[in-house]
Amino acid sequence: MENKELQRQEIKDLFKAKELFHKELAKLPFEEKIKILIHLQEIANGIQTSSKKKQRIWKI
Amino acid sequence: MEKTIEIINGLQKEGLIRNYAIGGGIATIFYIEPILTYDLDIFFIPSEEKRITTLSSIYDWLRKKGYKPYKEHIVIEEIPVQFIPVYNELIKEAVENSADKRYGKRKTRIVKAEYLIAIMLQTFRPKDRERIIKILDEAKIDMNYLEKILQKYNLKEKFDRFMRLYYGE
Repeated sequence: MENKELQRQEIKDLFKAKELFHKELAKLPFEEKIKILIHLQEIANGIQTSSKKKQRIWKI
Repeated sequence: MEKTIEIINGLQKEGLIRNYAIGGGIATIFYIEPILTYDLDIFFIPSEEKRITTLSSIYDWLRKKGYKPYKEHIVIEEIPVQFIPVYNELIKEAVENSADKRYGKRKTRIVKAEYLIAIMLQTFRPKDRERIIKILDEAKIDMNYLEKILQKYNLKEKFDRFMRLYYGE
């Protein structure tokens, strides 16, 4: 019983930490976020097998 | 992107547009963690005398500078930009009340988070719903300001339904 309660608390903490992580990313300067966006575009294009669906990646 | 913004500011200086603000995914990224998007949406208020021909005059001006259309965009300094004339009162007001921001050394304008929520409630595609949740979770929202906008544009009921569905409120 105590073990389950501990586990529940750990999961709760884990989700809280994830939430904080997203909020921290939201606070980054706009310019930094655009750099991350370009990484996201590269990752998304990298896993896209159809060349027709590949999108133009920004260059800044 | 600085150069892209400089060119867009040039459109305003030339009198081809009266005012503009960044909207869509890039405006959303300003307030939340980065999300995947591929274009830069520019909501603009046409110049009074050029109300009808504005899109073509924007494209002509940009073409003369060497920028080429790509699908429904025009690529300015390697960034696909979509120019969207303000197509209803809410979007026009969002542009008029947008926030002055800087990207690097360039001044620009970005639609405020409260207006983004209202606009996304209007368009209400699956990605809009997802973005509304992220903005509410990650950005600082002035709820009084948001409520005024929602009431003015008859979106309050839709917002309340949305909140009940996703937040159980």
